[in-house]
Amino acid sequence: MAKRMAFYFDSSACVGCKTCQVTCKDKNNLPLGVRWRRVLEYSGGSWVPQGDQMIPNNVFGYTVSLACNHCEKPICVEVCPTQAMHKRDDGVVLIDAEKCIGCRYCDWACPYGAPQFNEISGKMTKCNFCEDLLAKGENPACVDACPVRALNYGDIGELRSKLGTVSAIEPLPEADLTFPSLVITPNRHAQFSGKGTGKILDLTEEEV
Amino acid sequence: MSEENSLLKALGDTVMSRRSFLKWSTALGGAAVLSSDLNLGLKKIDAAVAAAAAEGKWIPAACWHNCGGRCPIRANVADGVVIRVKTDDTHPDSPDYPQQRACLRGRSQRMQVLAADRIKYPMKRKNWEPGGGKKELRGKDEWVRISWDEALDIVASETKRIKDKYGNKAIYCPGGGEIQRTLSLAGGYVSNYGSTSRGAWRLGQEPLTGTTAQVEMNDRFDLQNSKLIVMWGNNPAWSSMGLATYNFLQAKRAGAKFIFVDPFYSPTASIMADEWIPIRPATDTTMLLAMAYVMITEDSATNKLIDWDFLNRCTVGFDKDHMPEGANPKENFKDYVLGVSDGKPKTPEWAARICGVPAEKIRSFALEVARTKPAAMLYGWNSARLEKSQHMCFAVVSVGAMTGNMGIPGGAFGISCHNAASNGGPALVSLGSSGVASIANPLAADPRLCSSEHWEAIVSGKYTAGKGPKKDINIQMIYHGGSSKLNQTNNVNKGIAAHRKVEFVVTHQYGLNSNAKYSDLVLPVTTQWERYSNFQSGNRELVVWASRVIQPLFEAKDDIWIAAEVGKRLGLDVTKIVPMSEEQQAFNTVAGTKVIKTDGSAMENLVTITEADIAEMKVTGKPQTGRITLKEFREQGFYAVPRKAGDKLGYIHNQKFREDPVKNPLKTKSGKLQLHSQVLADLVTNAGWNQGYPIAIYDPPTEGYEATFADWDKQVKGTYPLQLCNIHYPRRSHSVLDNVTWLREAWPQELMINPLDAESRGVKHGDTVRIFNKHGSVLRRIFVTPRARPGVVFLGEGAWPEMDEAGNDIAGATNTLSGDYPSGPDIESWQGCVVQVEKWNGKPLEADYKWSQRIVFKEA
Repeated sequence: MAKRMAFYFDSSACVGCKTCQVTCKDKNNLPLGVRWRRVLEYSGGSWVPQGDQMIPNNVFGYTVSLACNHCEKPICVEVCPTQAMHKRDDGVVLIDAEKCIGCRYCDWACPYGAPQFNEISGKMTKCNFCEDLLAKGENPACVDACPVRALNYGDIGELRSKLGTVSAIEPLPEADLTFPSLVITPNRHAQFSGKGTGKILDLTEEEV
Repeated sequence: MSEENSLLKALGDTVMSRRSFLKWSTALGGAAVLSSDLNLGLKKIDAAVAAAAAEGKWIPAACWHNCGGRCPIRANVADGVVIRVKTDDTHPDSPDYPQQRACLRGRSQRMQVLAADRIKYPMKRKNWEPGGGKKELRGKDEWVRISWDEALDIVASETKRIKDKYGNKAIYCPGGGEIQRTLSLAGGYVSNYGSTSRGAWRLGQEPLTGTTAQVEMNDRFDLQNSKLIVMWGNNPAWSSMGLATYNFLQAKRAGAKFIFVDPFYSPTASIMADEWIPIRPATDTTMLLAMAYVMITEDSATNKLIDWDFLNRCTVGFDKDHMPEGANPKENFKDYVLGVSDGKPKTPEWAARICGVPAEKIRSFALEVARTKPAAMLYGWNSARLEKSQHMCFAVVSVGAMTGNMGIPGGAFGISCHNAASNGGPALVSLGSSGVASIANPLAADPRLCSSEHWEAIVSGKYTAGKGPKKDINIQMIYHGGSSKLNQTNNVNKGIAAHRKVEFVVTHQYGLNSNAKYSDLVLPVTTQWERYSNFQSGNRELVVWASRVIQPLFEAKDDIWIAAEVGKRLGLDVTKIVPMSEEQQAFNTVAGTKVIKTDGSAMENLVTITEADIAEMKVTGKPQTGRITLKEFREQGFYAVPRKAGDKLGYIHNQKFREDPVKNPLKTKSGKLQLHSQVLADLVTNAGWNQGYPIAIYDPPTEGYEATFADWDKQVKGTYPLQLCNIHYPRRSHSVLDNVTWLREAWPQELMINPLDAESRGVKHGDTVRIFNKHGSVLRRIFVTPRARPGVVFLGEGAWPEMDEAGNDIAGATNTLSGDYPSGPDIESWQGCVVQVEKWNGKPLEADYKWSQRIVFKEA
């Protein structure tokens, strides 16, 4: 079977520092407001009185670093009216800027917020898996940047056989929408998608 | 075809000048991103980026900020333009020999260096005139571009005028590098002192353990021998970015249990904490005293909690039978804890009321810490970054000594912070000296101003010079040669008043930070990317040699050039200010760099130097043999000592001392750990602000938890019912990088608050609130999170204050709220701060990455 590129993310190691986000912006010269990779914080729990003290009750928090998941069934490709959005043989989902008319259908359809509109070019943009670096035999910039080594990439089959099949923890949507090429090692606090008790708490994010 | 390529096709091989690069940088990083005139700039740049990327050269670049990380950056440079950056890839990555990967701050460095808000030209305040000129307009006046000659003439003439009229004691130079050489030759200046980030861990800790604030734990590999690691006020994910969190992760994976004592469920805790003990800020000493109480009262022959052998052999001051010579036997730690000396036993119930940790939890935690061997109790600096917090250091050493977790594999108690976070021990590689001798400041001994009193001293004309009455001082000139004192010391409003009082304020800067904003004259300086070379040492395993990445931008000059030009105008001997070339200084540093031999026995030269190297650098020196060539060091810009588990380079702090404290004494008065220290008590008393005491006692700060009450006994809350916790925040390294838009976008400088405290104030996530106390008022949006302990709000330190008409700091600088409470020996206090938070009914704040940058002059 042909190789199909996927990201691996270790939520048990991620501290949400956003080095991946900034590295991606540097590598890809992204303007403000465009973040091909970004980090979501998901947290919850409450505080309860015990005598005259306040006690934390299942307070938790964890972070998820998220880019395009180069999905097996990319809905962005399905909805694109000009075939600008396409999936390469190796699984990488790319935008042909010449064909893109900036209609933003892909933005509205993608449950991960991966395609993002560039106000300057008037086109959609998204994570291209650092295709230029891959072509040179190098790793995607975010993978080499992570200070806690929480990011990696490879063939989805190999990643799953080594690292498991989890691809949907909160606050990500359930996997059966688009079948993301993503393997996650869950944080010990992680809740499966659709069964979360917390919420996204981050001033830079709306609910995904 | 990618977007980039289509642009390339459209525009052909556009050659990009450095100027258009800056325009592009504005487009990427500036608030004006949507304006049409920048559109072309971006397209041009995209084209040039694509064209240049294939042939760009990687140059080792500095990340020179004071976070402790000192990570290597490499800049990809083509045609004098930085295309992108990367970090350490000098060797394959493994947990044993990890790459020293830069964090988001290093990664965003080009948006700081090549930014539209660089100070481009020398400039003076419009209404400035000799002697001041509408001094109240400092911070609000317009700027006028002037020539370097005019700027340097003004510095020299004002220095002369003020010196002649008031004497050198009127010149305050609170920080900053090379201009101090000139001022020293010119008769001297009033200098600054203080603990800065280290709180009491610097001068306070030293008499107790004989070590300074950094080397108090074992080598990183040894963390994996700990069964229990207590992280007390310790969040390396934010406060010691770089490798610290990754090193702790290895201990976690090796099976260590982690307990976090912290008012915030920190990101580090979120991946490591087996247990979280949410304590109130500024109350740690009470919990440690209560833990000691539990250990003392429950220890027995059948329930061994205290390491009596260690206490008896290695410490003084624990009980009346082990007092240092000449000490009052009644002033012993044990009797204070039990209440023998003051009638107040330091029970868990006593502590619980103050620190907010239930008494039963304090007891079980004390028992766990006492029974788990080996264990490491590792503290960040913040727990003793507090008025009178030398008692915290005393308590840490006393409780740590009772557990005996020192000098053994897996055992430690003390500091894990800054560049030594997670990795203690002497440097395995160390830089040589540049060979430039410092010039003695004739006024070095007196007068000196403490950072937590300097603005008060300037405003009131009085300063504390040790025990006794305050002395007179008349500062009329503030010279900010570097540092960020107006931003980074307590009480910004008082600092602004001080800046508006004196006759002349001058700043060297590359961005319009607070020092520059409130000046009369601003001199644009080069960043380290524009200087000949920059050397850094970080954790014990690395050194950095960064090179010049780009030529100086606009009219920026090196600080040393300014120092020389001012010196020339003051009639000084310039060869004393600049005694040797930059090349010679770099050569000396490299030639003197030593690395540990692989058997750990001694240091040897790191660098091999040939006659050809000496000729090429145009320096004088001798060839030498070392481990790598000079060319390798310069091109890689980085050297990290190869490590592996079980190598000979590990370190167990105070191992020999523990084995034989008589033969291997500590550098303390008794040679042992001082649980009682008259030296420290005297240091505190003699500093002149408060009374020292020779053992750990609880002595709350002026704005501690107790200060949130109008009536403590009846538990009636007061005007400022919340504690503000001043945290390190990933957006900045202290104040540096606060203006970088990519970082602003990533980290919005929000006030973190518990849902209960938000609800009771009628505010919700994202709302703008006013946070205020008697020192100042700031506006911020709130981040409502259960990870914050109720009663405590959290704000990142280092934002650049932006005062609105009503005096609200809309940028949210913590020092707009932190009071100036000096205490001995030299402690600067940040964690003692009480505030109120209320809904802001004015215009809501917009995310500050959308704010206008502080661009004084647009590019011509």
